[in-house]
Amino acid sequence: MHTKSRDNWVAAAFVAPFVIAYLVLFLYPTVRMIFLTFTDAPLIGTGGWVGFKNYLRLFNDKAYINAFWNTGYFVLLTVIPNTLLGLVFAMMVNRQKGYVQSLILAAFFLPYILPVSVVFRIWEWIMDYQFGIAQYALDAFYGERVAVFRNKAWAMPMIAFVTIWWTIGFNVLLFIAGLRNISQDMYDASALDGANRWKQFRFITWPLIWPVTALVLTIQLILQLKIFDQLYLLTLGGNVNNTMVLVQYIYKQAFQLNKGGYGATVAFSLFMIIVVVSVLQYQVLRAKPR
Amino acid sequence: MRKFMTKALATVALLAMTAGAQAKETVVWWDFLSGGDGVRMKSLIDEFNKTNPDIEIQATTLEWGIPFYTKVQTSAAVGEGPDVMTYHLSRLPLGVDSGVLREITADELKAAGIEGANYAPANWKAAQVDGKQYAVPFDIHSIVLFYNKDALKKADLLGEDGKPKGFDGIENFDAALKKLKDAGSDYGMSFQTAGDGGVWRIFYSLFNQQGGDFYKDGKFLDGDNVDKAAKAAGAMAKWVSDGVVPKQTDYNPSIALFTSGKAPLLMNGVWEVPTMADLSKQGKLGFEWGAVQIPTLFDKPATWADSHAFAIPDRKGKEISPEKLKAVLTAIKWMNEHSISWANAGHIPAYIPVTETEAFKTMEPNATYSSLAATAVFDPTSKLAGVASPVYEASANNITTTVNGDMDPQAGAEGLRDELQALQE
Amino acid sequence: MNIVKIDFAGRLITLVTLAIAIVWAFPLYWAIITTLKPEFEVVQPGINLLPKTWTLESYAHVLTTTKIGRWYLNSVVVSVVVTILVVMMGALCGYALSQLRFRGRTVLWFTVLASFMVPIQALIVTHFVLMSQLGLINTWLGIILPQLIVPVVVIVYKQFFDSVPKDFREAARVDGAGEFDIFLRIFLPMNWGVTTALAIITFIGAWNSFLWPFLVSTSEDTMTITVGITQVKDNFGVQYARNLAAAVLAAMPVAIAYLIFQRRVTQAIMLSAGIKG
Repeated sequence: MHTKSRDNWVAAAFVAPFVIAYLVLFLYPTVRMIFLTFTDAPLIGTGGWVGFKNYLRLFNDKAYINAFWNTGYFVLLTVIPNTLLGLVFAMMVNRQKGYVQSLILAAFFLPYILPVSVVFRIWEWIMDYQFGIAQYALDAFYGERVAVFRNKAWAMPMIAFVTIWWTIGFNVLLFIAGLRNISQDMYDASALDGANRWKQFRFITWPLIWPVTALVLTIQLILQLKIFDQLYLLTLGGNVNNTMVLVQYIYKQAFQLNKGGYGATVAFSLFMIIVVVSVLQYQVLRAKPR
Repeated sequence: MRKFMTKALATVALLAMTAGAQAKETVVWWDFLSGGDGVRMKSLIDEFNKTNPDIEIQATTLEWGIPFYTKVQTSAAVGEGPDVMTYHLSRLPLGVDSGVLREITADELKAAGIEGANYAPANWKAAQVDGKQYAVPFDIHSIVLFYNKDALKKADLLGEDGKPKGFDGIENFDAALKKLKDAGSDYGMSFQTAGDGGVWRIFYSLFNQQGGDFYKDGKFLDGDNVDKAAKAAGAMAKWVSDGVVPKQTDYNPSIALFTSGKAPLLMNGVWEVPTMADLSKQGKLGFEWGAVQIPTLFDKPATWADSHAFAIPDRKGKEISPEKLKAVLTAIKWMNEHSISWANAGHIPAYIPVTETEAFKTMEPNATYSSLAATAVFDPTSKLAGVASPVYEASANNITTTVNGDMDPQAGAEGLRDELQALQE
Repeated sequence: MNIVKIDFAGRLITLVTLAIAIVWAFPLYWAIITTLKPEFEVVQPGINLLPKTWTLESYAHVLTTTKIGRWYLNSVVVSVVVTILVVMMGALCGYALSQLRFRGRTVLWFTVLASFMVPIQALIVTHFVLMSQLGLINTWLGIILPQLIVPVVVIVYKQFFDSVPKDFREAARVDGAGEFDIFLRIFLPMNWGVTTALAIITFIGAWNSFLWPFLVSTSEDTMTITVGITQVKDNFGVQYARNLAAAVLAAMPVAIAYLIFQRRVTQAIMLSAGIKG
């Protein structure tokens, strides 16, 4: 029995850094956040106990409901396009060889390593209402210039596009890795049977790449629910309600309006949404045969 | 021996110098002044640092509006942030209510030699809440109408005196805008139609030109005031729907439309005066420009105005030291005394002795539009009002939307009223 | 006659691929080219794919009038520390979960699994309160701490350690090696690839992270480069080229590192495709 307790001590030493960080920086803040949701505390300082008032307010708060749907809209605009385009680009890259392949891959991957502020500056400049190069294209094909990040109809799709431009490189890499794991023999064999490109994709590539697709979808979904950075930067100074999303609404309530209690309630709702979505997605994706 | 003495002396001198350097009080300064404003403030700060060797201002410029005031608020709450900052007096009640501002006591003001008598009474009082002083005014700023003399002349809208003619009255003004557009400009007039500030300032001016009360006895847009608001918003919306004012245009592009000659008129703050002056001086403007008071489109003249002031954040748990406070107040006093170069940025200095100088009285284009001061209207005194406040936001949500044609004027005005009244209760 | 069968469809796909790649890279090209133009040329109408006058004035301006050097330092320190700590904690914990039998192991494993991709963004309010109470606002540590919770790193390590054949461990134990020896001498080196991958991904994430550093640094001196170039304004009129020059400078170190180690970086990330969620 002596060794058993010794083993426990050794294991404790291994897990201690992570567990301590987890307790202090995740569990404690989470519990505290839940506690805050029942108060009317400012950002810093204590407040009175208000019971479920903050939760009731949530359901009658037009701005919150707006932020909720905007977040959903953004997820819709990014998750599936980013995944499918990632697969398409990966197949395109995979066909090439040597330095041409490296070059094309670099074109797709380079944006991914840029900090969000850089992405913001680049697109702010390209879409600039007055001097942006893309406005020439809008002028020519759409008929007029558009302040895309200020316009209710344009803002979300444009930010979704910028997001895809920025992050697709990572997905492309994951898909390339997946594609390389598919044995060339299968394609050769099917070619002998006279299968065309589409049939090869439909019956070999798609089913065999599915685990990677599922992984990318999972990562994307959780990631895009937490959208804030690029949206905040690109729409700064405009009508923020056009594009208000949940994380931004937390920021607004807690940091701009100094409503810590209500901000925490919004935060907790996002927390729960992410938990529910993860569980649902896990179930759905597990249902598919690997 | 002699050599030793020189060495010793040099050492002593060096020590004295380092000691002097250590005694130097640094003042961390935050402002939101960019563009032409920023350039002038920067040179004021540089000059201050040069002429006051015992104080050094370390300035940081942050993004105007919500980003600036959010940073101020969160940092004050955790005991961080600057020693002194610029602050809009329109927002003072809100700032005091959220505990961001530190009171500047009468004794402290007196010790620093800052006297209320040197400021216009209303201006000085606007820096107080419940009789306590929270800021020292620096300027009064407003919006004006910038105009392109060449374009106006072409459309026969320029008077003998070189000022626009036939702009008073909404019908005349609408007709003039159309005439300017027909004369070959892309637009009749430009202003910031996206976001909060640009729309609010013009809307509030037009609202007050009808003698409206935005906020009275705890009620926003009470009674027929909502109709006046709808009329103001409707007039602005008509410009956009008629195509004489550009839709959804950001702050900088709205100015660029004017400076590039595409819009012969620009309604914007006096703080853009230096932009025009500098461009004109560098020969990059391509036309003669001028600035006049906003025309009277409704019953009586009225122009939105606000005031930049200096305030000290109430840093929780990290109060400003008496020495630093002294340095801060010295800097504030100095800035006011030297605000003639701030007038150069289009503003009207708050410090009366400066406005009484000959240099200010003859300064152009300030002298042309200084008449607006008599009919200036300030944002309502409420903890919901001011730059980056709920009033600005509600205006962005309702009035900006109306102006861009996505909402009916009456619905916009009522939306504004209801949104603010809900926050009031 | 059809000895050489020309694959027209294949060629077409190649052309389309090249076209898309060019479109994808164009914004980067356009941003860099803009920084090499004088400001007045930037706002001239028309599209000039090359500057008429080449100038480095924008870069000189950014380097001399902003605290970009300080922001660089902050970014480097924060990102390196976050990377080291996250990878180290993840490897240790993953090893314990994979190789050791101890009380609470199952509970810990399910806790880690359940917090897969925790929404740190949802915790900004309480993190801010916590950091304020610890007096860590405007400090490196304050920026670093909330970024340390990455349970997915633990999961990845556990999976890779699970696939190390048992014999290695048994043999080492017979030789009398302790757990730390086994971890350091056998398990870590055998999974060097995954460590590289996780380190690269964590580093990019930390270097690019915006929301938290933006909230926790209110003073110009503690901002990371991602925050600094968007929050601190400049006082000189037209500034498209200058803003972009600051952006290019912010992106340069990582971009250059990527271009040099391209193969290694892509391989490392591809390795993580083997992770099953």
